[in-house]
Amino acid sequence: MERWEQFQGVYVHTPFCLQKCLYCDFPSYAGFSEEVRQQYVDALCREIELRSRQRDLPVAQGATVYFGGGTPTVLSAEQLGQIVNCLKQNGFWNEPAEATIEANPGTVRAEKLKALREFGFDRISLGVQSLQDNELRSLGRIHLAEQALRAIEEAKQAGLQRINADLMSGIPSQTMESFHQTLDKILQLNLSHVSVYSLILEEGTPLERLVGESKVSLPDEEVSYNMYEMTTDVLTRAGLRRYEISNYAKPGQESLHNKVYWHYEPYAAFGVGSCSFTGKERRTNTFDVHAYINSWKAAETALQNNGPWQTERLDPKTQISETMIMGLRMTEGVDLNKMKQRFDIDVLKYYRKEIQTLLDKKMATCEPGILRLTPYGMRYGNQAFEAFV
Amino acid sequence: MQKDHIRNFSIIAHIDHGKSTLADRLIEMTGTLSKREMEEQILDSMELERERGITIKDQAVQSIYRARNGEDYMLNFIDTPGHVDFNYEVSRALAACEGALLVIDASQGIEAQTLANTYLAIDNNLEIIPVINKIDLPSADPDKVRKEIEDVIGIDASEAVLCSAKTGEGVEDILEAIVERIPAPDCDDNKPLKALVFDSKFDSYKGVILYVRVYDGTIRKGMKIEMMATGATYEVTEVGVFKPAPVNVDVLSAGEVGFLAAAIKTVGEARVGDTVTDSVHPAEEPLPGYRKATPMVFCGLYPVENTDYDNLRDALEKLQLNDASLLFEPETSTALGFGFRCGFLGLLHMDIIKERLEREYKLDLITTAPNVVYQIDKTNGDIELVDNPSAFPDPTVIATVSEPYVTATIIVPKDYVGSVMELSQEKRGEYQNMTYLDEDRVMIHYSLPLSEIIFDYFDRLKSCSRGYASLDYELSGYKPSDLVKVDILLNGDPVDALSAIVHRENAQVQGRRLVERLRSLIPRQQFSIPVQAAIGNKVIAREDVAALRKDVLAKCYGGDITRKRKLLEKQKAGKKRMKQVGTVELPQEAFMAILSMDKKK
Repeated sequence: MERWEQFQGVYVHTPFCLQKCLYCDFPSYAGFSEEVRQQYVDALCREIELRSRQRDLPVAQGATVYFGGGTPTVLSAEQLGQIVNCLKQNGFWNEPAEATIEANPGTVRAEKLKALREFGFDRISLGVQSLQDNELRSLGRIHLAEQALRAIEEAKQAGLQRINADLMSGIPSQTMESFHQTLDKILQLNLSHVSVYSLILEEGTPLERLVGESKVSLPDEEVSYNMYEMTTDVLTRAGLRRYEISNYAKPGQESLHNKVYWHYEPYAAFGVGSCSFTGKERRTNTFDVHAYINSWKAAETALQNNGPWQTERLDPKTQISETMIMGLRMTEGVDLNKMKQRFDIDVLKYYRKEIQTLLDKKMATCEPGILRLTPYGMRYGNQAFEAFV
Repeated sequence: MQKDHIRNFSIIAHIDHGKSTLADRLIEMTGTLSKREMEEQILDSMELERERGITIKDQAVQSIYRARNGEDYMLNFIDTPGHVDFNYEVSRALAACEGALLVIDASQGIEAQTLANTYLAIDNNLEIIPVINKIDLPSADPDKVRKEIEDVIGIDASEAVLCSAKTGEGVEDILEAIVERIPAPDCDDNKPLKALVFDSKFDSYKGVILYVRVYDGTIRKGMKIEMMATGATYEVTEVGVFKPAPVNVDVLSAGEVGFLAAAIKTVGEARVGDTVTDSVHPAEEPLPGYRKATPMVFCGLYPVENTDYDNLRDALEKLQLNDASLLFEPETSTALGFGFRCGFLGLLHMDIIKERLEREYKLDLITTAPNVVYQIDKTNGDIELVDNPSAFPDPTVIATVSEPYVTATIIVPKDYVGSVMELSQEKRGEYQNMTYLDEDRVMIHYSLPLSEIIFDYFDRLKSCSRGYASLDYELSGYKPSDLVKVDILLNGDPVDALSAIVHRENAQVQGRRLVERLRSLIPRQQFSIPVQAAIGNKVIAREDVAALRKDVLAKCYGGDITRKRKLLEKQKAGKKRMKQVGTVELPQEAFMAILSMDKKK
C-alpha cells in the first residue's frame, strides 16, 4: 500500500484555553467550565469510537499522533489519558513513530509531564513565542519567559527528549535586538526543533483591531523582513536545519506529523474545528463546542451525512494543486517521481509554463526528480504558490 | 389586413417609467402571447439587457387587436432604448412609425429623457399619445403630470390615457387610443417598393437580417431587391414579422413592419437608413435616410494577452455587424502594445460593448479611460483632430486646443438646485437658464465640456440630488480651452496609455491626485516603483509604491489548506486583469484612475 492510501497521522483538538491570546484565530475558547470540558472529552471519545467503525482508510503502522489546540494541557492528566486510551482501543494509536502534545508553558507541571510521557507522548511542542516579558504581555500570553524556560527544563526531566519551541517575529514591542536575544536564549537550551512564525494579523482578532486603531504598533515591514532573514541565519549557524518555511530542526528531528501535511498524506482528525483528510476529501468539524458535544452524544450521528461537519470533495486537479503548494513549503521540495506515481502526471509538463516562469525568476530550481523553491522563492512564496492553483 | 386598419407606433419614455412593462402588457392583452408564454420584459431579449434592466436593441412586434368596434387591427410596435446614449436608435425607430405612446410615470413626471424623445417624435411628425403610467402608486399625481405635459412640452394632454401597466388598468384604453388616434399609414401596395431599413441584425446562417418598414409596394420571398444606396441586388430568402419571435410570412405589404433576409453578407452592404426597392421595378427616389451616428466617447481597448489581438478584432467586427454606431480602428500604445481605438455613443454604450466582449467573446481586456475628441489648431495653421490623449502634439506646435461642449438639460427638485449648480460650476459649466416645471421641479440648462460629462458627472449629479436629478445632453459645438496633457511615468518611463488631458488650472491638483490614486492601485512588487506626473518635462507630482519585502504565508497545516488555496485563487484571478507595462504590472483600475479620483478609497 502506498503512503497516501493510509492515514499517516492522527490529530486531536482541544479547543480550550485559559485565556485567548490577542492574535489567535484558531478554534479555541476561554471560559468553559470543568463540566463542559469533561463533556467534550467524552464526546471526543465517542467520535473516535464511532469513526473507527466506519473508517475511510486504514491507519498506517507508525502513524503519528498530535494533540493540538487551544491548549491540550488545560485538560487534566486523567482526561488526556482518557483520550489516549480511546485512541489505543480504537486502532488510532498504532505504534506511532511520533506522538506530540502541544503545551502552554503556563499550564504544565512536572507531574503532568511525567504522566504524558507515560501515556506514550515522546514529543512536546511549547508555545514560547518570545523570551521577553514585555512582548509576552503585549501578545496576551498567560506566562512569562521564566515559566517557559522552567517548562522546558521540566519537560526534559520528565523524559521528553524531543522538544519544540514555537517563536514569533514581527510582534509588538519587538526589536532586532530583542528578537536576537530570544533566539540566542532558546538556542542555549539545545532543543531539537524550533518553529519561528512571522506574525500574521488575522481578521477579527483583538490585535488586528488594536493595530488598526493605532493603539499598538508592530515593527515596520523592513524590520520584520530583517527578522525573517535573521531567523534563518541564526538558527542555521547553530546547527538547526531549515526544512520548511518556518520550521527548523536538528538532523532527524523534523516533525513527522507536520510532514504528513506537507507531503499531502491522509490523516484522521478529531475534535472541534479539526480537519480530516483522506486524499480525496477533506472533512472539517464544527467550530461550535456545544454543537459538537450535543451531536456526538447521539449514537447515530456519526454515520449520517448531516453531522456536525462539512465535507469538501477534492477533484484530481485540486489535489495536484494542493500537493504542489504544500510540498514546495519544504526545502526538500516536491518529489516529481512520487507525483507521477500518485497522480500519473509529469509535473514538468503539466505546469510547464508556470515552472519556466519560476525558473526564469530564480524562484525555483529543478534537479532530476525534484522541484524546489529557492530561498528567494520562499521569501515570495505566495507568488510561487499562485502559479499552481 | 386593410391599410386603414394598420397602426405603426413606438413607445418612448424615460428610463424606468415603465415602457417595457407596458410593452409586455400590450403583447399580453392582444393575445399575441399567452400569459404563460410571457417572460418578463420579453422584448429585452439580450441577456445583458435583462440583467441591467435596460433595452438596448430595437425589437418590433406585430399584434392583432380586436377593438371595441369589433374590427381587427394590425398593431406594429417598436420598443426603444431610453438612455441618453441611444438617441440615435430611438430616432431610427420613430422614423418607421406614424405615432408614439409617450409614457410618463405618474409619480415622477417629465424627466429629461422624456423631453428629448418627445422632441424627436415631434421632429418625425408623429401623432403623440400621452400615457400616464403607474397610476397605482400612492404618489401618483396624474393631473400634475397632465399640466406639465401641456406647459412644458406644449401638446394637448386633455386626452392623455391613464394606466397602470403593472395592474393592467387602462391598458385597453391605450389600445383603443392607438386605433382611434394614430393615423393609418399612407401607402399603396401597387406602387414600386420602398422600404426603410431601420435596423439590422447579423445571423450566421441567414446573413444580415434587415428590419424594415414598408412604405409602398410589397416584399415576397424570391423577389429580387435592390439596396438603393449601393445599387447591390439580392434575392429575398425570407420575409416575416415579429410576434415577438420571428415568424415567416408570404408577403410583407405596404404599411407593415417586419424583417427580410437575402443572404446579405455584411452589414456594410445593407445600411440602416437605406431604402429597399424592387430591382425589376425600382422606385424613383429613395426615402430620406439618416445621418450617421456620431461617436462621442472614445477609449482604447487592448487585450491583456497580446496573443488575443486577433480574437479581439474578430469580436469587434462581429459586434459591429449588429451595431453600426460602434467604430473602431487599430492603434498602438508603447505601453500596451496593439489594440483598438473605439468610438461609442456614450459611456453606457461603451460599458455594454466592453461587457459583451468579455462575456460573449471571453476576452480579458484593458480599457483606457474614455476621452473625447479634441481639435488642435496648430501654429502652422493645420487643424488636427485628436481622439487619443497620447497623440496630443507637442505644446510648442499648439496654437489653440478646442474641446466639444454639450448643452445639458437637468431636471431636479428645487431643493437640489444649489448642489447641481455647484457641481456644474466645478465641472467648468456655464449656466444658461432655468425654468420651473411645476412648483417642485426645475429645469436647468448648462453648457458643459463633454469631457467633464463623461468623467462622473452623471453619478455625482445623482448623488448630490439623492437620485432625483435626470440628465440629457446634446453636442453644441467646440470651444477653445486651456488644456494640457499630463503624462504619467512609472519607474521613470512614460506610460502613454495613462496620459490625460486636463484643464491647466486643475493640472497640478489632478496630477497629484492621479499619482496618489495610482499609488494605491498599483500592487506592490519586489522593488519600489516611483510614480510621477509630468507636464512636458516638468514633474508635478510623485509618489512611490513601496517594495514588498516578503510575501509568504508563515503557517500552513492541515485545516488551513482550503482557506489558503482559495485566497491564492482569488489573488491569481485578480492578476489576470493585469497588464505588464515595462517592469510594472498594472491592474485595469489603473487605466481608469483618472475617472475614480474623486471616489473615496
